[in-house]
Amino acid sequence: MISRPLALRLLAFAALVALIGLAFWSQSAAFASTGNLRSLMRHMSVQGLAALGLTFVIVVRHFDLSFPGVASMGAMTLGWLIAAGMPLPVAIGGGLAVGLAFGLVNGFAVARLGLPDIVTTIGTGGLAIGFSYFYSNGTSISQNFFMSGILDLNDRKIAGLDMPFAILMGAALVGAILLHASRLGAGFYATGQNTVSARFSGVPTRRLIVVAFALSGIMACLAITLLVASSGAANVTAGNQLLMPAFAAVYLGAALFGRPSIGATLAGTLLMSMMLNGFTLLAIPYYYSDAIVSTVLITAIAIFDPRVSALLRRGAPRRKGEPV
Amino acid sequence: MTDLTTATPRLRAGRNSREALMRFAFFLLVLAVFVIFAILRPTFVTPGNIHGMLMSASIGGLMFLGLTWLIAAGEIDVSFMSVAALSNMVVAGLVLNGAGWGLAALGGLGAGIVFGLLNATLVAVLRLPALVITIATGALAASIAAAIGLGTSIALTGTGFVGQLLDLRIGVLPLIAVIVGALYAASWFVQERLTFGHYIYAMEQNRAAVVEAGVPVNRMLFLLFVLSGTVSSLAGVLLAANLSSGQPYLGASYFLDGLTAVLLGGMALKLGKPNVIGTLTATIFLIGLLNGAALLGWTDSERQIVRGSLLLIGVGLVVFARTRRKA
Repeated sequence: MISRPLALRLLAFAALVALIGLAFWSQSAAFASTGNLRSLMRHMSVQGLAALGLTFVIVVRHFDLSFPGVASMGAMTLGWLIAAGMPLPVAIGGGLAVGLAFGLVNGFAVARLGLPDIVTTIGTGGLAIGFSYFYSNGTSISQNFFMSGILDLNDRKIAGLDMPFAILMGAALVGAILLHASRLGAGFYATGQNTVSARFSGVPTRRLIVVAFALSGIMACLAITLLVASSGAANVTAGNQLLMPAFAAVYLGAALFGRPSIGATLAGTLLMSMMLNGFTLLAIPYYYSDAIVSTVLITAIAIFDPRVSALLRRGAPRRKGEPV
Repeated sequence: MTDLTTATPRLRAGRNSREALMRFAFFLLVLAVFVIFAILRPTFVTPGNIHGMLMSASIGGLMFLGLTWLIAAGEIDVSFMSVAALSNMVVAGLVLNGAGWGLAALGGLGAGIVFGLLNATLVAVLRLPALVITIATGALAASIAAAIGLGTSIALTGTGFVGQLLDLRIGVLPLIAVIVGALYAASWFVQERLTFGHYIYAMEQNRAAVVEAGVPVNRMLFLLFVLSGTVSSLAGVLLAANLSSGQPYLGASYFLDGLTAVLLGGMALKLGKPNVIGTLTATIFLIGLLNGAALLGWTDSERQIVRGSLLLIGVGLVVFARTRRKA
């Protein structure tokens, strides 16, 4: 349903992209070069895939904090299988299977056993990090990488697009059909809005929550597969860099477009990647990147929160005893 | 629904002996594990090792105190360990640039209070979602901590008066353990004997009802977040002297331990409600377990798996105990 608010939001998003793009372009002409735009899209592919998976979990109003740890374990599994001489599809399949397994465990624990999502996923994520040390005692794995062809995943092109970006677009298309053009998708949103009424309306809420967590795990491992392909080595801390950008992308997108969705997450990822890429071009050291992402995240949540905008409109701080 | 249990825990304990066993099962488990370690590795109970463990437990216990109350009130703070890392780096950075330890410690404490106020404003005043906000503020604190050391740790030559404080000891008992113990005793009194503590428990059970009852919930949440930032930064200041360095990435190891201590500790005495005695016991348990496991030659990854499993067991037990009580 295309309505005027949506057009307005799209316009606001385009303006934001133009503003950020121009700001960086004026500081460094290299920002708009083909090479940089391609590396921006590569960066966006990795972050975007992880954020897409997380989107499903956020839509059903849950949290997944395990995906960075699960991604690390997926990376190490992938690296170990390649080093052991397995064919590439098996190795990638093995990595994704780790994501699926942990996603199913998370989903089962939250939906069936009724465990609290935040702490449970922190626990399973901790377990995954522990397991990821088993393969090589924590050293990074890069044997056989040249021979296996995994680097092609980063270097090849499909229909004029870099492989990682093509994968992101493909995943986004599948995700969009699943979430926005199928009955299942309506079920995800219904589960998030009111689980009880959704269940009584015949939505298999528990199964959908399990599916959401499973998707989050698989997508995190797919994202890390691309990262491993671009860096040429698997290491145990690979997943750590996924957490903040993924949450920031989902929440920034949801803030811009009113609710979490595939398109919103892609928009959020694009903005985050533009900013991180731009600041890297300006030679801002890597350890500031989390500060930038988190500041943007806090600002986005605060500005777009209805309570805060109401507060800004009234121009006066609320007194105690306000309704919750 | 279950409000009565908080007011009269002792009555219920007497009524149901199986529940009483569950209440104290955790203490028995801690005792059993420590005795096994002592038999397998006699070095576990040497004065030096006990002193070291008590020191670590004191610093950890200090860091997890604010978190205990926040989780007991049904909120969450995942920025505590990064705030500790930031305070740790602020102290190290100031000392390295020639400031005295007094000023540096104040600076570290100030950084923690600032982040406590930031969390409190965003979550308690603006009522934004606590998890995402504290993920973000935690990342901000960690990022600043790394920026202070330009991405690496800062080695310190002296440890100033904070180091002297940590060195004071009564036999195997570090003075800091006595101080933290006293702090925990005071917190126990506040949480279990004063109305403030009862409001904390009540907030977790039914926030709307507590608001209706006229409790200034937002002001309490504000206080709890500031408290969490403050005690985390105190722990960070102590760590600067204890490690005689500033470690920007020290947060990672405290993250799982903090949540595990609070949730596992919640099983002791209160059957699923985070409380300070439980947190302190669980902190000592975790420190002892990791120390004993190291003596037995376990690898880091095995210890990480034990941590993760314990957290999951803690969560599982909390939920199990609650559903059983409701039934």
